[in-house]
Amino acid sequence: MNLVIQSVGFGLVTASVLALASVGLTLQFGVTNYINFAYGTYLVLAAYFAMALSTRAHLPFLLAAVLACLAMGVVAVAIAKGVMQHFVSRQAPLFYLLIVTFGLSLVIENLVQAIWGPGFQTYNISVGSPLNLGPFSLTPTQLIIIGLAVVAMVAIHLMLSRTSLGKAMRAMSDNKDLAQVSGIDTERITTWTWFITGCLAGLAGIALTVTTVSFNPTSADSFLFVIFAAVILGGIGRPYGAMAAAAILGIVTEVSAVVISSTYKDDIAFVALVVVLLLRPQGLIATRGKA
Amino acid sequence: MDLILPYLATLTIFFFVYNILTWGLNIQFGYAGVLDFTFITFVACGAYFSGVFALGPGQKSTGFEWILGLSWPFPIALVMGALAAGLLGIVIGLIAINRLRSDYMAIVTLATGTVIYGLVSNYTPLFDGFDGLAGLQTPFSQWLNINYNQFTYLWVGFCGVVMVICWFIAQRILNSPLGRTMRAIREDQEAAEAFGKDSVRVRLIAMSMGAVLAGVGGALLMGFIGAFNPAGWTSGETFVVWAALIVGGRGNNWGGVVGSFVVAVLVNEATRYIPPIPGNATLIPTVRNMLIGASLIAVLWLRPEGIIPEARRRFYQLPLLPGRRTPAEGVGSAGS
Repeated sequence: MNLVIQSVGFGLVTASVLALASVGLTLQFGVTNYINFAYGTYLVLAAYFAMALSTRAHLPFLLAAVLACLAMGVVAVAIAKGVMQHFVSRQAPLFYLLIVTFGLSLVIENLVQAIWGPGFQTYNISVGSPLNLGPFSLTPTQLIIIGLAVVAMVAIHLMLSRTSLGKAMRAMSDNKDLAQVSGIDTERITTWTWFITGCLAGLAGIALTVTTVSFNPTSADSFLFVIFAAVILGGIGRPYGAMAAAAILGIVTEVSAVVISSTYKDDIAFVALVVVLLLRPQGLIATRGKA
Repeated sequence: MDLILPYLATLTIFFFVYNILTWGLNIQFGYAGVLDFTFITFVACGAYFSGVFALGPGQKSTGFEWILGLSWPFPIALVMGALAAGLLGIVIGLIAINRLRSDYMAIVTLATGTVIYGLVSNYTPLFDGFDGLAGLQTPFSQWLNINYNQFTYLWVGFCGVVMVICWFIAQRILNSPLGRTMRAIREDQEAAEAFGKDSVRVRLIAMSMGAVLAGVGGALLMGFIGAFNPAGWTSGETFVVWAALIVGGRGNNWGGVVGSFVVAVLVNEATRYIPPIPGNATLIPTVRNMLIGASLIAVLWLRPEGIIPEARRRFYQLPLLPGRRTPAEGVGSAGS
């Protein structure tokens, strides 16, 4: 029983990483209305940026992490402008976009492998010894990740509810044409959305690789569809839904790792995904016309 | 010469097998518009099941364990592998294919593939986990008393025969009313449903038929290599078949032939025989994968219909009788 309560603590860590990643993906999914299959490689790319900046360029880890996230934001915008824009502006069928992002994931993953090699990498930081907090036992790094996710979620909430950018993003997510005729500069909003997505993917990627300690170019492959599960469970383009879904999935997968077997913990997320698709394809918080 | 001929024979086998695989994906995606992002899982299903039907029983004490192990003749094992893949196609299709947006189809197939990959790799009693199946005798060899080189040539012929059968199946579906319905659903699902077509059912059929061809291809690989393990069907392998279909041209099977030659044989298989660069052994496979990913994007960018585009289809028109006017002329003469 103690172990189960312990695993809830780890579940909070996983939920934090998942929340960062799935909010980033769902914001972009809502605004651009197509899913990015290369998103998992964004997480890995940012982790390698942070590794290169901290261990090779000898920057302090926190500075390296911040720079890596911003760099990932820029890369995400560059990919959106350089590759995706061509297909979007020609109103290519949806499957073109899906196949292109699918191809992009192969290119990015192998680019990372060509530059940094296929082996496992680590950051030169210590995770610290576990602290006992009530029933939980978490390392300072894990606490920082949970705190970071909470801060990021509050920031996203403030951005969506208080700033004109956030309001425009929500408007575009609801109805792009209506947003455009209302005078919203949809191209500028889309660019910002990609930047924010890239930064959140970067944060999530670094948080993920800090918790797993070592990582390689394929580290985010199976995590990608846990992210997809959270996005669909939360409802496409629904950041608050994604946050709730991330909390549920994070805790459920970690508890199931203790109760069943850690080998199959990603499969639990998949079962959740299938059940949601069969019973409530519109997600926890429905978006009309997006299911 | 002693080296080049077996090498060319091996490439020919891969060419034939990839033709079958590309036609399989063509039935799923090119005909019916099903976004199957886990095609290689069906190939693996065919390979594994043909393997356990043809292999002898696995023994846990020797570290080799797998289900069945019936030692059946290879051609029957091949059919069983194809059927198993077809069944898996229905099962995955039932989850993935619904009237929801097409991204869901892509996500669910990709996720199912990842889950199956994890299960097969970690649960050893099924197909011996990460070690996979091994030790399959080259089919027909003992019976015909031939050596490995002769077997390679024999296998070129066997794959060729199977390929021709698959070609007729794929062409037959393409030109049948069922194929027409598949294309109608691909073009406009709602319109096709308005005409009374059950889009979910037809797409399930397409998914399953494509999976059968995938299973046949997988079984042929199993028979040729004699071993199969999870390293052979990572999700990257799915890209190869997708790239072959998109580059060659979807919706017609000649496009599949061209694509499988260019992508699967020239880029994917032939480059495996380039000696590795000293000090960086993984560079060539890495560059190859990048090329395959980039070719998908480049073709959709520059020539989205592929090298051989799908022919525009026309309705059958009654041959005009001599002296009879076409409707257009009739309208013109009525006005004069």
